[in-house]
Amino acid sequence: MSIKGKHVTRRDALKLTSGVMAAGFSMPWAAGRGLAQQAATLRAGIAGFNVINTLDPMKATLIPEFYVIYGAFNALLKFNSKMEVVPDLAESFTVANATTLEFKLRKGVKFQDGSDFSADDVKFTLDRVADEKNAAPNRSKVTAIQDIQIVDPYTIRIVTKAPFAPLLNYLTNTRTATQIVSRTAIKAHGDEAFGRRPVGTGPYIVKDWKSGESLELEAFPGAFSGAPKVARVMCPLIAEESSGMTAILGGQIDLTSTAPFADVPALEKRPEVKVLKQAGLNTRYIALNNRKGPFADINFRRAVSMAFDREVLVKAVLFGEGVAIPGVLPPALWADAKPAFGQYVTFNPERARAELAKSPHKAGTEATLLVWGSNWWRRMGEIVAGQANQVLGIKIKLEATDFSAAYSRMKAGEADAMVMGWLGFVDPDEYIGELAGSKGFRNIHGYANPKMDELLDRGRTEIDPAKRKQVYAEAERLLADDLPVLPCFCSNVHNLLRPNVKGFVQLPYSNFADQFGTVELG
Amino acid sequence: MFFVMRAGHGDPALSALGDLATPEAIAAFHKRWGLDAPLVVQFWRWLSGALVGNFGVSMTIAGGVPIADLIASRLPNTMFIGLYALVIAVMISLLAGTVSALRHGRLIDSAATSMAVLGISMPDFWLSYVLVYALALGAGLFPSYGFISPADSLVAALYSGFLPALAVAAPMAAAFTRILRTALIETLYRDHVRVARSLGFTGAFIFVHYVLRNALIPYVTVIGLQVRYLLGGTVVVERIFGVPGIGALMVDAAFGRDYAVVQACALTFLVIVLIVNFLVDTLCNALNPRAA
Repeated sequence: MSIKGKHVTRRDALKLTSGVMAAGFSMPWAAGRGLAQQAATLRAGIAGFNVINTLDPMKATLIPEFYVIYGAFNALLKFNSKMEVVPDLAESFTVANATTLEFKLRKGVKFQDGSDFSADDVKFTLDRVADEKNAAPNRSKVTAIQDIQIVDPYTIRIVTKAPFAPLLNYLTNTRTATQIVSRTAIKAHGDEAFGRRPVGTGPYIVKDWKSGESLELEAFPGAFSGAPKVARVMCPLIAEESSGMTAILGGQIDLTSTAPFADVPALEKRPEVKVLKQAGLNTRYIALNNRKGPFADINFRRAVSMAFDREVLVKAVLFGEGVAIPGVLPPALWADAKPAFGQYVTFNPERARAELAKSPHKAGTEATLLVWGSNWWRRMGEIVAGQANQVLGIKIKLEATDFSAAYSRMKAGEADAMVMGWLGFVDPDEYIGELAGSKGFRNIHGYANPKMDELLDRGRTEIDPAKRKQVYAEAERLLADDLPVLPCFCSNVHNLLRPNVKGFVQLPYSNFADQFGTVELG
Repeated sequence: MFFVMRAGHGDPALSALGDLATPEAIAAFHKRWGLDAPLVVQFWRWLSGALVGNFGVSMTIAGGVPIADLIASRLPNTMFIGLYALVIAVMISLLAGTVSALRHGRLIDSAATSMAVLGISMPDFWLSYVLVYALALGAGLFPSYGFISPADSLVAALYSGFLPALAVAAPMAAAFTRILRTALIETLYRDHVRVARSLGFTGAFIFVHYVLRNALIPYVTVIGLQVRYLLGGTVVVERIFGVPGIGALMVDAAFGRDYAVVQACALTFLVIVLIVNFLVDTLCNALNPRAA
């Protein structure tokens, strides 16, 4: 076949036909994206997740919920591209004394429903999170606050019971629940409706939300940060990370929230997609039952810890997209003192066997390791169990289940161990404090050590960052001795972008929609 | 199913509130959704609603959305992909089975039989990714992800649903081809076909009226059996291609401990299977020359 002298193969003809079809029947999140509207819609796939329960910051807990919340709301503070805390809805802030912060608020800021933003909304937001009746999952972030004083409509003072070092981080637009909500909107519509149609000051309004399918965001021209350049954002919820990758390669979406570790090296070589990556704020470990069973014995925990190679995990589970860690603080966090790998977190089969000899639990001891989630979580469990069994002659068997079941069993003390991890947190207290503190609610493994609690209390009240860092270094050393959990690795965070997407700045806490306001489609 | 799901580990509160949930938040969630009531009471609440067609609202995966709405928006997509796959499978198998039977023992028969074995052996997720890489990313003929509901545009649904339908259709087409081939070969050598030949009827007439019609009875029965698995079989394909269907809904609900959604989906499956069984039996009776 030839057209005007050009040879056209059957494949070309098929492509041409499909191209015409594709133009006519583009995906729902690209609907109406004709030539004239090409820059009007950003298709930002939330990959690896398809459940969003609420968009109310007070109730949100899942990372995909915050992906959207980041773009619909602002907080008093935010992180800039250097991960420094800077004002957001606050114009400036001053540390009046060790227990008092004073914020000057921006004037003329409008909520997406047209109502005015003022100190009253700030107080309402923080009181709402702190109110026991609301049972906010992130309530612990504001319980240190003793008093919130409205000095004038644009000045607010926050007083804590004692010096509380994490507070500035907890007032940022991250997984904190302290994103400022519209008092007027909540009073008018109620909590339930607000959770589905939130009203914030952010650059995008949640226009439509099809549960388990997609969200549609519409630009808020009155945003104080400036009118967004892209009029509409469609966020399909893509359950499989690999499907997110094929969607962007196929041109069905422009941006993804994550990428499959195994495919990152290959994706970096492809011209049709740009890979953004950096060391992430996350931690992955094996949670151990410190209350009963073989892992209640410190020598057994140490023996297993020395019986598997963390570098192998990084290569085989993350395909090099991360680093082995000796504690639970991610290296990307300012408070991580980059401690050396202590003897109990270094792979050493000889020492591991010697340590097992000190334990009442010898070779042949049986234990169950719960695995859940994506393949890489399972692979992590397989490698740890496989290596430990081989080195020590113990019998750790894997049991595949889902997160909810594994978490419940671990929390109830009914499971020996589970693969575990957290991501997106910005303060060291959220990691080691909640994990190793005897009252930490992420301490599902039942670890209690008064020395650790004392260190963590010091970490919370020490305002000087340098001194605080030293406290956490000490806590990490204690954790690497006691090993209530087996630290494994910290993974990179990834975003995939089509080359035409400009202005998206990736941050290590897995940010997403907070950047949409500055994104441009070339 | 109600009691089996509750016997398992896991808590809907954790699914909805996430891993940060405080004990107070979990208790409040249980109270709100009546999960703190005895199981028998919970069952009665569900049953008394279900009997009058009220499945309640989703408590975790789509908090507060009526389950009937979820099913109503998802079921047409699954049924569309299922029917689309069925049509593709029937077309392929009618052609391949017939050619294979009429040329049995020859190269084309061996090729068709081998393809059928391959089709049955291929896992659906693997085939899905092969189709994505070959036909979407490689040849650029179809979208690699996403589906437009037939309610929005039938033509667009046919286009965006082709790859998922093909992934679902392949193993079915293989099974149908094998059964049709066997049935046709068996019928070709029956006495009544010889008699028809001796009476001077043409080959095509004999094939259509005496061979194919008889062979279609086991063929349609097998199709009916396969359709029962079709709804569940689309689950993996729905996730890979992003088809918002009822299979994916049921899996998400099971993982999210959204008990009422799982029960409503199971009930929907049950009703559909009963209807399909009835239709298959009716069709078999209509096709049976002795009954006709």
